[in-house]
Amino acid sequence: MATTPRSGGSNSGAAQRPNGTSQNKSCQFKLVLLGESAVGKSSLVLRFVKGQFHEYQESTIGAAFLTQTICIEDTVVKFEIWDTAGQERYHSLAPMYYRGAQAAIVVYDIQNQDSFQRAKTWVKELHKQASPNIVIALAGNKADLSNIRVVEFDEAKQYAEENGLLFMETSAKTGMNVNDIFLAIAKKLPKNDNNQGSVIKPNGNEPTQTTNNCCK
Amino acid sequence: MDAIAGSKFSDVDEYGFKRGDKFDYKAYGKFMDSYLKTLTRRRIKWDALLKQNPDLSLLSPTLKRYIRKGIPGPYRTNVWMAITGADVQMKKQPNLYSSLLNIQHFNKEISDSISIDLPRTFPDNINFDLEKERLFNILCAYAHHNREIGYCQGLNYIAGLLLIVTKDEEKSFWLLKYIVEQITPQYHSHNMANLLRDLAVFRELVIRRIPEVNRHLEDLGLPYAVIASKWFICIFAEVLPVETVLRIWDCVFAEGYKIIFRAALALFTTHKSAILNCNEIATLANLFRELMIKDSIVTNCHSFIESMFALRLKRNEIESLRKVSVLNGN
Repeated sequence: MATTPRSGGSNSGAAQRPNGTSQNKSCQFKLVLLGESAVGKSSLVLRFVKGQFHEYQESTIGAAFLTQTICIEDTVVKFEIWDTAGQERYHSLAPMYYRGAQAAIVVYDIQNQDSFQRAKTWVKELHKQASPNIVIALAGNKADLSNIRVVEFDEAKQYAEENGLLFMETSAKTGMNVNDIFLAIAKKLPKNDNNQGSVIKPNGNEPTQTTNNCCK
Repeated sequence: MDAIAGSKFSDVDEYGFKRGDKFDYKAYGKFMDSYLKTLTRRRIKWDALLKQNPDLSLLSPTLKRYIRKGIPGPYRTNVWMAITGADVQMKKQPNLYSSLLNIQHFNKEISDSISIDLPRTFPDNINFDLEKERLFNILCAYAHHNREIGYCQGLNYIAGLLLIVTKDEEKSFWLLKYIVEQITPQYHSHNMANLLRDLAVFRELVIRRIPEVNRHLEDLGLPYAVIASKWFICIFAEVLPVETVLRIWDCVFAEGYKIIFRAALALFTTHKSAILNCNEIATLANLFRELMIKDSIVTNCHSFIESMFALRLKRNEIESLRKVSVLNGN
């Protein structure tokens, strides 16, 4: 693992202070992963949250929820990550996860043209149905297999630029750009102090743990 | 592998699944000390029952009671086939399975999506690599037999476990057909309509029985779909320990869909305080994803099944909630 995310898994709770400096801004964001089956959504999350990779990651049935906290300058950013099932028919469950999300990573497999087309469909749906200010990143995953790619880097980059998306090619297997794509999203998200009002709680209750000063 | 030191148990279970680093051998040893006696006792009882040559396709009160206490492994396939009527169906259409395998051109989209899932099905089972071709056959045959369903992710786990138990492709096919069409109709279809309906029903059952748990889940914001989709889609395969899943399936095959709700509710009731003790969504999600589906409560399949049947739940209640849920659009 190259950079920032803390190890400690999904239940790491409040972030730890890395070097004794006091940090006083904290934000919490809901992020959803979308994309075709077997492009590596769960593997990206597993790499980001636990620093692990399984060659044969079991397919996600329904959805999974994990969290990870990163620090950018003086701000602690906590991601609530909603990892969804990719198979087309699980689509009917997807809106419940991207509703209220402040960020999305739309994943495709650089070896699979269909998965790139499917990613574009997801982007369209998010633009139409998700929060208007949602930050969307496009991830061309399995970049370690770039010698057998079918989706060209430039093609995806151009598409991302035209649609206002962040774009990186990633590899959950090697870890390439995995932290970076989450960091890039965190940087682009608005970080008002104690930004958590926009994290949707179904019945409007306050989150039980305030994240203010969570680096103490 | 410190956990295994001094244990009389292998790090692979009898079905070929690796037990994992965190497996609690001590607790398992304690459970097995008494469960092995239970198994022996049940085996003797079943031997006596089967000697009378009962009609296994009829669920007599005795047979129902026996099944709830667990079908002995060696009899499981035959009892499943008989109690579901799958054996009768198989005899009626003896060529169906082979004719499906002889289809010249499988629909590429279907066969591709099944192929992608093969290496992802039970990668931790040491014997299952050799079964992948048979699993492909079952799933592909079923997807072409029932075009309305085709292939739904999750069926790989059901068919895979059927194959591990029956060791028979064709019987696995017929039991898979029974599950998808008789136990969980329209769960695996393209709009998953009945899955969404039954998740809403499950929520309502939780509200009625343990309202404080429902309130807590909603306060923390963890949807039932995240918690329980896989429970319903896979009927707990690849969720709970294998022995527990098979004991649940024994009852599902004998008594029907209601058992799925019983098992889901029992998971909630037996873990009520653990759920209420989670103060944030991440801990709660972790409880459902990693902790409670492997802990000693569910590993002790015998007492878990007992807790399932300690709950009051009538078919009428589920059916009326289903109607309301459909009217409300889930």
